[in-house]
Amino acid sequence: MTETLKPKDAAQVLEAVKWAAGEGTPLEILGRGSKRGFGRAVEPGLGLDLSGLSGIGRYEPNELFMTAFAATPMAEIEAALRQNNQQMAFEPADLGPLFGGDEDRGSIGGAIACNLAGPRRVKVGAARDHFLGFSAVSGRGEVFKSGGTVVKNVTGFDLSKLLAGSFGTLAVMTEVTFKVLPAPEKTRTVLVLGLPDAAAAMTMARALGSAHEVSSAAHLPKAAAGRSQVSYVAGAGRAVTAIRVEGPGPSVEHRCRALKELLKGKGEIEELHSENSQALWREIRDATLLGSANGDPGGRQVWRLSVPPMAGPGAAEALARDLAGEALYDWGGGLVWLAIAARPDAGHEKVRAAVAAAGGHATLVRAADEVRARVPVFEPQAARLGQLTARIKQAFDPKGVLNPGRMYEGV
Amino acid sequence: MTAKTARVNDDLIRALRAVVGDRVSTSAVVREQHGKDESYHPPHPPDAVVFATTTREISDVVKICAGRGVPVVPFGAGTSLEGHVAALKGGVCIDLARMNAILSVNAGDMDVTVQAGVTRKQLNEHLRDMGLFFPIDPGADASLGGMAATRASGTNAVRYGTMRDNVLALTVVLADGRVIRTSRRARKSSAGYDLTRLFVGSEGTLGVIAELTLRLYGIPEAISAAVCPFPDLKSAVETVILTIQSGVPVARIELLDEVQMDAINRYSKFDYPLQPTLFFEFHGSERGVVEQVETVKGIAADCGAGDFRWATKPEDRNRLWQARHDSYYACLALRPGAKALATDVCVPISRLAECILETRRDIDQTGLLAPILGHVGDGNFHVVVVMDMNDATEVARCKAFNERLVMRALAMDGTCTGEHGIGYGKIDFLTVEHGDAVSVMRAIKMALDPQNIMNPGKIVRV
Repeated sequence: MTETLKPKDAAQVLEAVKWAAGEGTPLEILGRGSKRGFGRAVEPGLGLDLSGLSGIGRYEPNELFMTAFAATPMAEIEAALRQNNQQMAFEPADLGPLFGGDEDRGSIGGAIACNLAGPRRVKVGAARDHFLGFSAVSGRGEVFKSGGTVVKNVTGFDLSKLLAGSFGTLAVMTEVTFKVLPAPEKTRTVLVLGLPDAAAAMTMARALGSAHEVSSAAHLPKAAAGRSQVSYVAGAGRAVTAIRVEGPGPSVEHRCRALKELLKGKGEIEELHSENSQALWREIRDATLLGSANGDPGGRQVWRLSVPPMAGPGAAEALARDLAGEALYDWGGGLVWLAIAARPDAGHEKVRAAVAAAGGHATLVRAADEVRARVPVFEPQAARLGQLTARIKQAFDPKGVLNPGRMYEGV
Repeated sequence: MTAKTARVNDDLIRALRAVVGDRVSTSAVVREQHGKDESYHPPHPPDAVVFATTTREISDVVKICAGRGVPVVPFGAGTSLEGHVAALKGGVCIDLARMNAILSVNAGDMDVTVQAGVTRKQLNEHLRDMGLFFPIDPGADASLGGMAATRASGTNAVRYGTMRDNVLALTVVLADGRVIRTSRRARKSSAGYDLTRLFVGSEGTLGVIAELTLRLYGIPEAISAAVCPFPDLKSAVETVILTIQSGVPVARIELLDEVQMDAINRYSKFDYPLQPTLFFEFHGSERGVVEQVETVKGIAADCGAGDFRWATKPEDRNRLWQARHDSYYACLALRPGAKALATDVCVPISRLAECILETRRDIDQTGLLAPILGHVGDGNFHVVVVMDMNDATEVARCKAFNERLVMRALAMDGTCTGEHGIGYGKIDFLTVEHGDAVSVMRAIKMALDPQNIMNPGKIVRV
């Protein structure tokens, strides 16, 4: 890609998309460009750099929502929220480091377009569950809005849900509105040490199914735990299963005690306080415990497997053996990050057979451009679903100019 | 027979009989039952009703209809409120009530797969012994397929979300009769576009929902419910706003004004004071519930609340919430023979007090019998405007009131419908609220249902 359009406002975005649709020129939609390596390599054309559409619009903390231009840096949003003891409860992962970039470079539009989430997903959902409304330009060159600032609405088709996770292939978002919530007063993490993966899944299910309002449960096998910056975790010298509890101070202390009682006898138990908890959950969120691109000289490829939690360890352990890899579990075992030794086919047939057997799906998150051009990045769709996907793309973007091929070939 | 469309003829009925045997009816009584919901909107009977028992049958019926360009209207329990099931262009109604099998419960992964005709109460009765429950509870005992189709919610939305947060996967019969499954059982469904959520809330206009996989929750260790009267509407609403803004994970928080309290006292035989009242329910561990209760009591006391009356025994709680769920019927009972226009605006929580108080002034000035109630925790409230359908001036006055209410909500950055949906009753409001998005929705509709046979005339006109 050689040239980039850099609109200053929504009107210029509209102009750019209209022009591209008229010419049939594909556009690569960029917020801040921190996740360009996510998805298939887009067919060459022009870049549409949205970084000119930046800044927080409407934010009154007691309204519990924020409106921001699409390319507003996450770091700016998080700083504004922190000042008011609020947060985006879905704690979107910062995938920059995984792709070899710096921390805190992503935009809110990118987080929503990729439907990012974090360890709290088991409790509060992902970006799409907190995404209330937007203004966008469709591939037809039409400005449209959907949703709004209320947490509930049933005004026709749920277009917000459709745009979240559409990787810029349906419309160019120019402004987004999302929920914000009070940040927890206190965070603690109960650690259970030395559990094998399958036992860890049972333990996490036990904790998540308890009445103690667990907000996250992750399992770090020995190698991943050893890379943590949190000394208690790295120094454990064995696998670490982490269970997060958040809320008002007395309640958190009470729940931690109750959890330790519940998990007694499963393994040695430790506890992390707020600061260490935050550091650990950020590492888990961003998958940096598998090594950033820079910190992973082997250039390993990274898969994200989404599976029913009880089926996670079985599938992951078999794949790790087969493909010389290692796994990291979040969401009680429902999310498996799998890093494997790089190979031209990214082991995709084995990975996909394993997740299909488990009842899940897999996404190839990190691999070289040529590998992602060859191997389906997103779970291939059955013929009928694929046709439906193509029809929806056609409805929004009949000329196929918005991030063509980013998700599926021809879409 | 006198069908609305010439395409519905004896030949079609014969073709349907070949699929479902004698489970097809063209009798006037059956057709009339299937042309109306619980709203005031005029009924529009279909030309024929098919009682489906399998996904395969739905698929075959839709294929027959698609081949002849005959409209298809899915029907669950018929408890919608915006004329969703009205067969505006005639055609074949597919009644899913007999598809009431619970197919599999996965207790470990906390999900369940059901046929579309299973009702919410049936599901919860089935789950009770397993210590699990499904939280979405519209007033009526609606079918889960219908609840997904209308993206329903209820009193638990603050803590548990709405149907859009709790449907994991769907089996859908498309407009050409093909069957798709939108995703696998894994919690996270980001393989491709979120088709599951596209069908949730599509009101039967994109396909027929045949089976659903739903997210389940553990029955909380402790549940506590309370009723608390307030000196005026304002203080009750302020309590709600402060509770939500402080992040207390209250499960239910419902407002009923004094007119509504009178209605449920009469209908459900209670003796609550005739004052604006909040119904609360708290879920969690023993300790967690105590903390939530203390916080909320503090907020309520600061706002001038009266005493909390507790319902801790399960039977007392059930009676309390059944009364809340029956409030629509309680309103109708205030004026026998009347029908009701149930409004459904939703506004940002910070504008809630203003919106409810202005609406109350409007009710008083207009002189309507119109109790206010709602799931105020998410900014959504209803006015149940009771009216005599035979009095054209009164009906016009009530509709004008609803229009003013919608415009008031839109001016406050709210929406015309928080949970009832568009159907055909709010189709023009949708255009006012989201003019540009309607053309995008129309494009989606045309892409998935090019013949416009799936529940035509709902959400968007083609």
